[in-house]
Amino acid sequence: MATNSDSQCYFIQLQIDSFIDDDLSAPQRETFTSHIHQCKACANEFHYAQTVQDAILDLPLIDCEENVLEPIHRLANGPAIAPETTSSSIWSQLGAMLSSTPVFARYALPLAAVAVVAITVFPVLTEQSLNVPMVAEHSAGEQVEEFSPEDIAKALQDLNLAIDYLNQVSQRTEVMIGDRFLITPLQDSLNASFERASSRRQDRLQDDPI
Amino acid sequence: MQTQYRQAIDQHRQRIFSFAHYSLRARQDAEDVTQEVFIKLWQHWQKIDHSKLGAWLMRVTHNAVIDHVRKNRSIQKHVDDYADVSDQASSEEHGKTIDEQAFKQLLMAAIQSLDDPFRSIVIMRDIQGLSYAEIQKILDISESQVKVYLHRSRRKLRENPQLRQLFENYGGASSNTVAESTSDIQQARSD
Repeated sequence: MATNSDSQCYFIQLQIDSFIDDDLSAPQRETFTSHIHQCKACANEFHYAQTVQDAILDLPLIDCEENVLEPIHRLANGPAIAPETTSSSIWSQLGAMLSSTPVFARYALPLAAVAVVAITVFPVLTEQSLNVPMVAEHSAGEQVEEFSPEDIAKALQDLNLAIDYLNQVSQRTEVMIGDRFLITPLQDSLNASFERASSRRQDRLQDDPI
Repeated sequence: MQTQYRQAIDQHRQRIFSFAHYSLRARQDAEDVTQEVFIKLWQHWQKIDHSKLGAWLMRVTHNAVIDHVRKNRSIQKHVDDYADVSDQASSEEHGKTIDEQAFKQLLMAAIQSLDDPFRSIVIMRDIQGLSYAEIQKILDISESQVKVYLHRSRRKLRENPQLRQLFENYGGASSNTVAESTSDIQQARSD
């Protein structure tokens, strides 16, 4: 069972750090010091705390050697690379490029991109809704419907129109962004579709028993 | 910008390296952290509020140290080192004067073995001498929490069995030395 003395020692020992940090009020400090002078256990605890604290305060600040910072100084003295772009992605670079263009071009580019997508996708969707599917993967024996030469000519015409429009925008902003992000992938996709269609036609002709 | 960057490095390198060194103990790890912090400073130079550069750097250092501890799992190694030092210190005869060097070695290992934020707070406050307000900004906790954590850190250090053992091996305290200690502290404050 804890005695009065034990509980007093407990509270006194809780105040050791506050005493060291001078956070006690004058009466608390008085009580603390008188108890410490009378109680050997608390005196020992206080002396231990003081020894540890003195040792901590005595630990020096340490500096690193100069060669540790050499690569850092080289980085700062190196070729003028904008600090923020060292780890930026292609999208942040695109954002930075757009933000450096004039205001009309900043809005013209996304609008042109939307227009290109609309021009190329809308006829396809319309034709799909009229049950004229694009060439796609089909299982063996399934009847394959393909674009007619007129459809392909119309799609190419639309695509050329879109390319012309985008090139005009790109020339105005001196950035051929259309080629890089929109036209090339669309051309590749369309060419692949044509190639698949022609190879299937040849396969069917070869397999035809008649 | 390069001149300002160099000045910032010169101004803060000691604080950053010290914090990393006392947190990680291994010099190589502390050097890695210091480099990492200054590279981040370069990368974020234009985004930083330069009126709070010191706090920003200490926060980045603190995070880098935590990442380093997680990656390397080096705590166990230092706990082992710490036990070695303790055994060595206990087995040697040094009379009744505490071996300061052994005591400090044990203390550094004990600080390093503390969990965060106890470790960071005791380093920032007691070794680096940062104010409570500065620590509050760096760790994003209230000033009263900083004080509570600091006192708890010191208690945890004192509860370290090897440290206490070393202290007691050298005779602990007599009432005279305690009386001197309390009066010394009060005398220092009145001066």
